[in-house]
Amino acid sequence: MTDTLTCANLSKSYGGVVAVRDVGFTIAPGEAYGLLGPNGAGKTTTISMLVGLLKPDTGTVVVGGADLSADPMAAKAKIGYVPQEIALYPDLTGRENLRFFCRLFGLPRKAVRARVEEVLDLVGLADRADAKLDTYSGGMKRRINIGAALLHRPELLILDEPTVGVDPQSRKSILDGLERLVADGMALLYTSHYMEEVERVCDRIAIVDHGSIVAEGTRHELVALVGGADRIELTLDGDVDTALAKLRGLGGVTEAVRTAAGSVRLIAEGGRYLLPSVISTVDGIAAVTAVEVVEPDLEATFLHLTGNTLRD
Amino acid sequence: MVRSLLTVSALELRTRVRDRTALIIAIIVPVAMATLFGVALGGDDPPLRATVGMVDLDGGEFPAGVRREVMASTELDGVLTLRDLPGRAQAQSALDAGDIGAAIIFPPGFSDSVGAGQGGKVDVLTSADTPLAGVVANAVVDRISSLVRARTLAVRASLDAGVPAGEVKEFVERNGAAGPALTLENDPMAGGRVDLSVYYGAGMAALFAFFVVGASFRSLLIERKQGTLDRMRAGPIHGWVPIAGKAVVGFALAMVSVCVTWASSVLIFGSTWGDPVAVFTLLLAHVLAATAITMLVASRARTDAQADGVIMVISFVAAFFGGSLVPLYTLPDLLQKIALFTPNAWTTTGLTGLAGSGAGLASVAVPIGVLCAIAAAAFGLAATGFRKGLLG
Ligand SMILES: Nc1ncnc2c1ncn2[C@@H]1O[C@H](COP(=O)(O)OP(=O)(O)O)[C@@H](O)[C@H]1O
Ligand SMILES: [Mg+2]
Repeated sequence: MTDTLTCANLSKSYGGVVAVRDVGFTIAPGEAYGLLGPNGAGKTTTISMLVGLLKPDTGTVVVGGADLSADPMAAKAKIGYVPQEIALYPDLTGRENLRFFCRLFGLPRKAVRARVEEVLDLVGLADRADAKLDTYSGGMKRRINIGAALLHRPELLILDEPTVGVDPQSRKSILDGLERLVADGMALLYTSHYMEEVERVCDRIAIVDHGSIVAEGTRHELVALVGGADRIELTLDGDVDTALAKLRGLGGVTEAVRTAAGSVRLIAEGGRYLLPSVISTVDGIAAVTAVEVVEPDLEATFLHLTGNTLRD
Repeated sequence: MVRSLLTVSALELRTRVRDRTALIIAIIVPVAMATLFGVALGGDDPPLRATVGMVDLDGGEFPAGVRREVMASTELDGVLTLRDLPGRAQAQSALDAGDIGAAIIFPPGFSDSVGAGQGGKVDVLTSADTPLAGVVANAVVDRISSLVRARTLAVRASLDAGVPAGEVKEFVERNGAAGPALTLENDPMAGGRVDLSVYYGAGMAALFAFFVVGASFRSLLIERKQGTLDRMRAGPIHGWVPIAGKAVVGFALAMVSVCVTWASSVLIFGSTWGDPVAVFTLLLAHVLAATAITMLVASRARTDAQADGVIMVISFVAAFFGGSLVPLYTLPDLLQKIALFTPNAWTTTGLTGLAGSGAGLASVAVPIGVLCAIAAAAFGLAATGFRKGLLG
């Protein structure tokens, strides 16, 4: 079976700054693939090259067997693109916005009306369809922003941080909707710097940092990269810097970073058994006000691979 | 692909029509400005002053009659000044130097030839820089020609009737066949008046065409800012569709704007712009050039505000140097040369030329050709600009 998306050797530089370096991956039909990385990792630049908005310096993109540079119409017809910002007309209604893109993308005249209603139902906005977009809440705008990418029934939906600035309830409804689409057979390329979302939605994940993919696999495979280590989250009150330095020297601790003013994250082999020595190490330097031992997750993997946290 | 283009055009048109300000700029302002200028500066005492050179190589009664009539005409008083020049070469150099706006040349033996019933032809020298003077000179010559025809006819008829050749002149004049030597009618312009209402109407039409079509390219850049342009480009359409869709609407609205200005000038002032086909084609070529130039600006601009500012500056500079605001001949020589790079100069000169004469499309072939060349060059540069920028 042809892959839904294959890209290889994608690179893009802005002046001297390398935004994307030698990125390549494959998405199978119906597969949900995630790009997980902090702000500035190169996610948007990668996506822009995949949807034909940006010419790559090097590399190829093939969508459902159609080469993006050789046959852009065929390739683009198979992709639905959800931009990071709301990209719709604020002074048109939701329905008018959808109708416009339906016609623009060449749906048969007779099919337009029905398809617009279908998509309005799909994103749960049928009852607000005749209100102007600038009266919508942030979450509603996000949903119709996704809806506009579904109109021409793409095989692959590419979403660029679709939940940024969204309240928890809308976020849940967006993620539920995406899971339904995947269940119905649509392939997904989902980018985010939220670990929980990528873990929840995606079958396979690429971890990106500084323009490169540093690891790729299922959640299980990626987490296994950390080995048997646990993640320990400490909240300290006192001289956090000194405490951090001491903790780095503690046997079994492989990574130790500060995540907030009084918060420290450790990756430690057999972390749960290490807790007593962690606490005694900082004794007299800082008081431990909270402690949490977390099973290995992508956050731990990211820290393990890059020495950084996902959120800055 | 055509349907995609029409979809973009339909939305653009709808947005423009809903936008009252845009409508006002497209239609009401140029008409109002042209009317104001026409009323304030046109009126009873148009600051239309033409100095026409007169080269009398004939020395007979015909040139003398013309001179006498011009002096006596109250309508032409202060409008037309005759300056005597000894020969054709002197007239040409005075014309080149801008001392006169046109020249009428009576060839040697003109009066005798007409008196003998053999007709005669008067030459006119004109300059593209001073279309109004050319119109006045041609109007005077038109009158002379019809008189010459009438006189020739009368002389021939008298000769046929057996009047001896030596007496025919006296015979014809005694019978008043062609009236006195020359009568200029009070309205000196054959085929209507070239008053300043046409001049400023043409100028405003030329100026506002830029604003009207420019607004569509501005909205293209707004779409880039609001992300809808990227959404379009990521879809299965050709990259040129959004640009062309907007351009078509801007072009059409600018055509409406210039035609409304034209029509209002005719209705309000009763002015005649000349052959409608020629006027329309010239306006079409102007709007094409304005479309290409504003498209070029949009292709290089970073933001819609920047494009807006640049289009504003270019429009006014082109209008000023192109004689849309002040008559070209009032500008110094150097500026008149610069004017040749603006579409406005070619359009305004072409339109004023058409208004005064009964000439048709062929007489404005050069301005139309130049406007199309300006358009082609600007479209070419815009295309490379878009390929590097918006479509890159
Ligand atoms: N148009 C641009 N000009 C210059 N640098 C850019 C441009 N777009 C992105 N970058 C740089 O490329 C890097 C990757 O950016 P981006 O792809 O937006 O990351 P992400 O979407 O993961 O946050 C960043 O360092 C960013 O500053
Ligand atoms: Mg981004």
